[in-house]
Amino acid sequence: MDILNKTVEEVASIARSGEVSVKEIAEQTINAIKQKDSKIKAFVHIDFDAVIKRSEELDAKKDKSGVLFGVPVAIKDNMNMKDTETTAGSKILSGYISPYDATVVEKLKNAGALIVGKTNMDEFAMGSSTENSAFFNTHNPVKPEYVPGGSSGGSAAAVKANEAIASLGSDTGGSIREPAAFCGVTGLKPTYGRVSRYGLIAFASSLDQIGPFGKTVKDTAIMLNAIAGFDPRDETSVQTEKEDFTELLGKDIKGKKIGVIKEVRDFELQEEVKNSFNDTVKALQNAGAIIEEVSIPHLKYALPVYYIIAPAEASANLARFDGVRYGLKVEGKDLRETYEKTRTEGFGTEVKRRILIGTFTLSAGYYDAYYLKASKVRRLISNDFEKAFSKVDALILPTTSTTAFKLGSITNPLQMYMNDIFTIPISLAGLPAISIPSGKDKKGLPIGMQLVGKWLAEKELLQIAYAVEQELGGKNGI
Amino acid sequence: MDLKKYEKLAALNLSEEEEKRISKDLTDIINYFEILKEVNTDNVEPLVYTKGAKLFMRKDEKQKSLNKESLKKNRELFNGNFYKVKKIIGD
Repeated sequence: MDILNKTVEEVASIARSGEVSVKEIAEQTINAIKQKDSKIKAFVHIDFDAVIKRSEELDAKKDKSGVLFGVPVAIKDNMNMKDTETTAGSKILSGYISPYDATVVEKLKNAGALIVGKTNMDEFAMGSSTENSAFFNTHNPVKPEYVPGGSSGGSAAAVKANEAIASLGSDTGGSIREPAAFCGVTGLKPTYGRVSRYGLIAFASSLDQIGPFGKTVKDTAIMLNAIAGFDPRDETSVQTEKEDFTELLGKDIKGKKIGVIKEVRDFELQEEVKNSFNDTVKALQNAGAIIEEVSIPHLKYALPVYYIIAPAEASANLARFDGVRYGLKVEGKDLRETYEKTRTEGFGTEVKRRILIGTFTLSAGYYDAYYLKASKVRRLISNDFEKAFSKVDALILPTTSTTAFKLGSITNPLQMYMNDIFTIPISLAGLPAISIPSGKDKKGLPIGMQLVGKWLAEKELLQIAYAVEQELGGKNGI
Repeated sequence: MDLKKYEKLAALNLSEEEEKRISKDLTDIINYFEILKEVNTDNVEPLVYTKGAKLFMRKDEKQKSLNKESLKKNRELFNGNFYKVKKIIGD
């Protein structure tokens, strides 16, 4: 039985029944990775013996009730997993062995998941194509000469290429949704604070959020069930009651109000993306939803706001990498020089660029004009969303304005940043959003549509996304 | 922009070639930020953390901390408990 083309729910049920052992699932997964990953390069650290050992431990377990029992899950290389190498795609962390499990890893283990390995990413999650990885490029499984998107490119590619059933990524300005769109999988960024970031290597702490990739909306909902929840070790963690995120899947969305953002029209969209957007709006209407126009007047300011705030936070977060306690260390004549040499050699160009932008915008004399100004505009953007959500239940917009681009084709950083124009505004407001496959362009590259929910309304967001997925199912179903 | 000044603040020391490359990008990026001047932000409070994050207190109880054995996998500990760095106090 071919396990890897199945959904999370199917694999867990097969593994639970004992029809196929977790060890056999592990062997199939390893074979798939050995066969495909020399071309795709989704994984950056993987230890096959450890995967087999974990599978045997799962087979020996009496309690097989975990929602992810026996399900092969890949995790992004910025999440700590005890006794494995965690590098966040950076040379400065090469050789770093995690001394503890991130909360999400602990939760995956508790849910019975078979954690497969670490996936490639843009260094410290800074990028939109995974080309900023210090190690190698990941290829889009649909067309290998194209990027998989980023920064969680490896996690999206692993799911698309059936090298894992589901995966975890992290999203600061679009790093789950954009690669999901480019690879043709489903990617969910939960509400800021919904999933604990304890053990996630920090990039921009007021924005970072962990979320799942899956083949279907339901897969991401089941994954969210496994990883969500309050955690006192992350002080931004939101205190919520336990919810079942699959509860509303399949329930009618008749009468739900869905907002179309007027200002999205001011941006140039690839023709096929525009058509796919219109098709998805029609699909929502067919499912009984009511479409309304809403306005996010400050939408166009989101990108500059983000590129002030995120590098500012990054410049502070990345100060911890100094060569003293772990990872790369390049000795200098004194401590100061050791720091400088380690950081100059250990960080890649994009990371240095962002550290320097952040250092500049936070420096005396510029703080008010840049960081403070951006934080105020961020408030206005958040207010715009709040106002829109007083009228509608969810928003729809394309995840990206174009489909995937060719490896090496974008070298200008500003042009690269533009890939995130439709995902960043939502991140600034801390709202949950999901990207689902909605079609393909003429070249056969996937297109993704983004649905945005109210704060902490993942259940309803997933309900709506599921309805759209069913409507579009015919041509995009797995 | 005086790149050297910010390199020093960020504990970086770029090569001339890298400086040249990055300095043009930084100028373009910082110019791009100018568009924010259009936005009237009088009487607007800055937003740092989006709603939801509420500070909470935990009980003052002993908790597990990192295991020394696993820290040693990354760096040798001096006297069993310390990280060793070069001298930072002058004579």
